[in-house]
Amino acid sequence: MSDSVDRGRRLLLGAALSGIASRAFAQAGAPAPPSRRMEPLKHVDAGVLNIAYYEAGPADGPVAILLHGFPYDIHTYVDVAPRLSAQGCRVIVPYLRGFGATRFRDPATLRSGEQAAIGADVIALMDALGIQHAALAGHNWGGRAACVAAALWPERCRGMVTVNSYLIQNLSRAMVPLSPKYEVALWYEYYFQLDRGRAGLAANRREIARLLWKQWSPAWDFDDATFDRTAAAHDNPDYVDVVIHSYRHRFGLAAGDPHYADVQRRLASLPPISVPSVTLDGDKDGVLPAGDGSASASKFTSRRIHRVVPGAGHNLPQEAPEAFAAAVMELIRA
Amino acid sequence: MSEKAATASTPRTQSSKRLEPLRQVDAGVLSIAYYEAGPADGPAVMLMHGFPYDIHSYVDVAPQLAAQGCRVIVPYLRGYGPTRFRDSATPRSGEQAAVGADMMALMDAIGIKRAVFAGYDWGGRAACVGAALWPERCIGLVCVNSYLIQDIAKAMTPQRPERELALWYQYYFQLERGRAGLAANRREIARILWTQWSPNWAFDDACFERTAVAHDNPDYVDVVIHSYRHRFGLADGDPQYAEIQHRLAALPPITVPTITLDGAGDGVAPATDGTASASKFTGRRVHRVVPRAGHNLPQEAPEVFAAAVMELVKA
Repeated sequence: MSDSVDRGRRLLLGAALSGIASRAFAQAGAPAPPSRRMEPLKHVDAGVLNIAYYEAGPADGPVAILLHGFPYDIHTYVDVAPRLSAQGCRVIVPYLRGFGATRFRDPATLRSGEQAAIGADVIALMDALGIQHAALAGHNWGGRAACVAAALWPERCRGMVTVNSYLIQNLSRAMVPLSPKYEVALWYEYYFQLDRGRAGLAANRREIARLLWKQWSPAWDFDDATFDRTAAAHDNPDYVDVVIHSYRHRFGLAAGDPHYADVQRRLASLPPISVPSVTLDGDKDGVLPAGDGSASASKFTSRRIHRVVPGAGHNLPQEAPEAFAAAVMELIRA
Repeated sequence: MSEKAATASTPRTQSSKRLEPLRQVDAGVLSIAYYEAGPADGPAVMLMHGFPYDIHSYVDVAPQLAAQGCRVIVPYLRGYGPTRFRDSATPRSGEQAAVGADMMALMDAIGIKRAVFAGYDWGGRAACVGAALWPERCIGLVCVNSYLIQDIAKAMTPQRPERELALWYQYYFQLERGRAGLAANRREIARILWTQWSPNWAFDDACFERTAVAHDNPDYVDVVIHSYRHRFGLADGDPQYAEIQHRLAALPPITVPTITLDGAGDGVAPATDGTASASKFTGRRVHRVVPRAGHNLPQEAPEVFAAAVMELVKA
């Protein structure tokens, strides 16, 4: 069930961090400077959205869709995307609804952040781009979107990489408390239930994001430029609505968009993931502590490998891009 | 405005020492359990505890005051320890008007006309409510974190995110999940809050447990949850306190002599220089920052707290 990141890769990472990068690592690329942006962006109408996304790699390569989380943006994959494209993948990195340059096409569409919506958005994007199959990879909201799509549309998914294993929310148990030490870490989710939290997010979105980055990735030494590059994506006019709705719906305290009622009904049964999967936990994740993967084992009915990534926090693709990219490539090559 | 208080140094009593025996008296809607010490004819001092604590916040303050001639009264608030509601139909309100009115009802019940009101957290709020609305009953006020009457009309105005983070439990308690969590894990939640709020305080398990048993009160969860929901305007108050709450909504000033104390190590209400609340104190008011002390200041720095009370008693 569980193996750790192989020793060679860890040695490679260690060597890179200590400034004596090997030739192989140098080819893969040192961490991108915070000034590097994933540009240019493309835009496509996809379902209810006009989705902004970054694309790299050969158009006829196997497709990997990389899905970011909250409160992050596509630059979570700034060091993953070039590794995958250099190995022949067609890499698609969309801004989720409410983030960056992605927009709702209709002002009347509910600014839902529910799991069914962000999962359906992935399939809508694949349809719009004519992509039949893709490896779906993500963390946080993006990992949830990957799980939703992989569970409900397995024929569209050649494999899945998620951080924190199975992320489909069990809304029927949303009112069951966790041990208080875990509840403390969810302070923002409780805060967002109040209109004070909505006002706080609207007024202080950068400060809240920075707090969460620090809490969730205590070992990640990001600089201001790295933070600002991502935080600009939170100025999206739908960001506050989508985020607040997401966390209220998650506790059953906001109604979903009827458009996704059937998808959510299917998610309520906590459907299994039947595609090959690699799940990664960061052993420095400050919001979802690393596990051995066994608690979610029954949710993966095909080949599933679980790894704990040393030194990585919750924003694992940006903190440990080699480990994340390697997991995607394993599924592409399988 | 602001002075620096001396660091406390005297050894503390053992964690096995309890404030006993307790007395019990019918007072308003409650049967209040309280500890009393000192001469019956001494100047009275009401020592009011907070959440999630109990009367043992004053385990070292009470004997110091009694030894100096005070009549010390340390009640369990509604929802804590052996204090009980007299009527099962009374709403288990934790609103500020109720905890303030309870203190006045206790003074009436045991025949105390005037007293020094001293407290922190919920107890500081009760003391502020009593001092603001019944100044003729109040010799003086000692309060941790200055003016504590809640401005419920502004409850939806966010603070800086790092302050909001510290209020995680208040947001948690808005959800039924939070109620269930408090009911199931009240000790674990209290211990987390003690640790967050008093990062410099090395309390031991016996010290914690001595207080935590007071949270097994059958009304504890209801009173606590109601308190924090009412505080954000998300639960109705008990109609019998509507008139008091109406007066509190005006944020009435405190006219009695006052000493306010902030712990320099307070992890939930950071120490201030007192100026932000200056306009709320229209009588003589001295503000002090107590080095290293956290939120449970009377238990962490009892000499400083007791000295503040004695200054008002002797004034």
